[in-house]
Amino acid sequence: MPQSSPTRIPVEERLFSLVLALLATETGLTKNEILSTVQGYRQRYSRSGDNSNLERQFERDKDDIRELGVPLETLDSPGQAGNNQNLRYRIPRGAYELPSDISFSAEETALLGLAAIVWREGSLSAESRRAIVKLRSLGGIDEPVLGYVPHLRVRDAAFEPLRSAIEKNQVVRFSYLKPGEAAAKVRTVAPLAIVQHQGRWHLHALEPDTNVTKTFLLRRIVSQVVTTGKTFTPDGADHTRIALGELEQVWNAHTVEVEVTPDSDAATRLHKRRGTRVAASGNLLLHYSDANIVADELAGYGPEVLVISPQELRNAVSARLRLVAQLHAAAAETGANDG
Amino acid sequence: MAERRGPLLAQDKLAFLLSLVPFLMDHERISVGDVAAQFSVPVQEVRDAVRLIAVSGIPGETGQYQHGDLFDLAWDDFEDNDQIVLTHLVAIDDSPRFSGREAAALIAGLQYLSALPEHADRTAIASLMTKLSRGASAPPSQLAVENSETDATLAIIRESVAAGVQLEFDYLDSRGDHEHRRVDPLRIESLDADWYLRAWCHLREAVRTFRLDRISNPQTTSEAISSHADDVSLSEKLFEGSADDRTVTIDVESSAALLLRDYIPENAQTSEHNGLVRTTIRVSHYHGLKRLVTGMPGLVTVIAPSEARQVVADWAAAGAARYPAQES
Repeated sequence: MPQSSPTRIPVEERLFSLVLALLATETGLTKNEILSTVQGYRQRYSRSGDNSNLERQFERDKDDIRELGVPLETLDSPGQAGNNQNLRYRIPRGAYELPSDISFSAEETALLGLAAIVWREGSLSAESRRAIVKLRSLGGIDEPVLGYVPHLRVRDAAFEPLRSAIEKNQVVRFSYLKPGEAAAKVRTVAPLAIVQHQGRWHLHALEPDTNVTKTFLLRRIVSQVVTTGKTFTPDGADHTRIALGELEQVWNAHTVEVEVTPDSDAATRLHKRRGTRVAASGNLLLHYSDANIVADELAGYGPEVLVISPQELRNAVSARLRLVAQLHAAAAETGANDG
Repeated sequence: MAERRGPLLAQDKLAFLLSLVPFLMDHERISVGDVAAQFSVPVQEVRDAVRLIAVSGIPGETGQYQHGDLFDLAWDDFEDNDQIVLTHLVAIDDSPRFSGREAAALIAGLQYLSALPEHADRTAIASLMTKLSRGASAPPSQLAVENSETDATLAIIRESVAAGVQLEFDYLDSRGDHEHRRVDPLRIESLDADWYLRAWCHLREAVRTFRLDRISNPQTTSEAISSHADDVSLSEKLFEGSADDRTVTIDVESSAALLLRDYIPENAQTSEHNGLVRTTIRVSHYHGLKRLVTGMPGLVTVIAPSEARQVVADWAAAGAARYPAQES
C-alpha cells in the first residue's frame, strides 16, 4: 500500500475503497471498523481521540454512494437492536449487481444513448450520463443514431426540489398563482409524480387536508418549494400513468373551434397540431387542456385565426389581442423615456 | 459525438471506477485507447483510474490491505505499452445497477423520443423500459413524458437520410412565403415540443433550419444528396445569428424572461425595474417577432425600434378587428 499523507487521499479513492470493503463483507462492518481500517478514513482515525469529523464524513459519503444507486444497507447487530454504535453496514451483492439476464442489444444501446442526450442540464443530465457509463461497462457502444440532436429542457425552478421531495416522500409547500386570480395561494401537498404533457411540466399531488389529488402546472408555482418537515407514505400506485391519463382526459374533453386563413402559418401548423379534426365547414377543431394557455397560443396567430367557439375563448383571445395592440399602440411615447 | 463535459465530480469518478472494473474483467487485455473510446473519456482519465484501481482493495482479515487483498495489474505492460491486464481481482464481480433516478432519466428520455420512427416498435421500447426498471436498485422515480405518435414527416426524412437522397417539400416560412424546397437533410433537432430539420437548402444554397410543423408534402426524391453532414459545419446553436438580424428592445415580466432566453444575445444590456426586465433580443425579422410577442400577451412589450412596435401593434389590431367590438 503506498503511504501517502492523510490529506492526499482523493475523495474517489475513499469512496471506492468504502464500496469495495462493504461489498466484500457478508456480515457487515461497524462504523468503527470502517473508520479505523478503510483506506481514506484510517489515515485520519484516532484510536484514543475524537472522531466526530470523520463520522460526519462517513455520513456524507454514505449519501453520495447511495445516490449512485449503490444499495448500502444498515443492519442491527444480533442482540443489539437499537444500539447505534453497533449498526453494521454492507452492500448486498445481489442488490448491487445488474441482474445477469439483463443485456442490451446494439439498437437498444443506441436508443439509450440518444435518450441520455435529451437532457443537457441539471440533475437529469448528470444522472443519464452516469447511466450511460454503467451501460458501457457491459461492453456495447452506443453509436449515435445518425443525425438526431434532441433536447428537452427543464426550466421550472420548482422541478428539482419537487423531484427530490417525491423521492423522499416529503410534504411540501409553495405559492401557486392561477391565472385570473389576483394573488397566489399557498398550497401544502404530498407530491406524487412529475409529468410532461403537451410540452409543459405538471405536478400530480395529494392535498392531505382534503385527500384530493390535484394537478399543478410547474410554471405557475411562484414561490420556492419548501419542505414542511412532514412525510407521507406513498400508496405504491403508478402516479405518472394516472397523471398523464387525467391530463389526456382533460385534453380530450375540451375543444375549441377556429376558422383559419387558408395557406397561412396558422393553417399549416394547427392542422398538424396533435388531435386536430377538420369540421364539415372547414373549420378546425382543436383540443386543449388549459384555456389560458390555448388562448395565448391562438393569439400568437393574430388575424390568421378567428375563434368561433366556445364564447369564453373568443373573449379570451380577443381580449389578449386588444391588450397587445394597446400596449404597442403609442409608438413614440414609451420608446422615448428610457431610450 | 462531441460531448462537452466539465470537471468530473468524485461521484462521477466513482461511477466510472465501478463500471471500469467489470469491463476490464471482460477484456483480459485491452489498450488504454480502446477503453477511452468505449467510455468516451480522455486517455489520461483512463490511466488515472487504472492506477487507482491497481492500488485499491479491501482491508482484509488483517485490516491492513495485504497484497492478496488488493487488485493487481501487469504494471510493465501498462507503463510501457499502455495495455491493461488486471492480474488480481477483489470484491467486484459485475456491473453496478442503475439508480432509480438514473433509470427514470433514461425512461423519460425514451418517452420524449417516442415520435421517432425508431420507436415505431412500441413493444420493443416497452421491454427496454422494463429492463431499465429491473436493472435499477430502486424503483425509477415518478417522472414521465407523454408519449406521442410516430411522426410521419420524421419517418420520411429518415428514409431520405438512409437512402442518401434529396428531400423535397413545401415550406411556409413565418413571413407567410410559400416555397418548394429541395434539401439534403443533415440533422433532426428538437427543442421541447418543437422539431426542426437542418438541411442544406438547394434553393438558398445554404444551411437552413426548418420547423417540421411548417413542412407540407414531404417526399424523398431519386436524386442523390450533394453534400454530407460531415462536409458542412453545423453550429451547435439551433438558431444561428446572422448579420441581417435585428435587435429589438423589450420589457418582459421577470417570470417570463427565461422563456425568451434563446433570443437574448450574450452581451445584451439588461436592467430590472418593478418586476420588468428590460433587455434586447435578436430576431431575423419582425414577422417572427410579432407572433412571439402576441403569443405572450401582456408579458412582453416591444419598446424599440418603433417600426417593430408598429408591426406588433398592427398584427394584434388586425387580429382584434376580427371580433366585433361590442362582444365581451
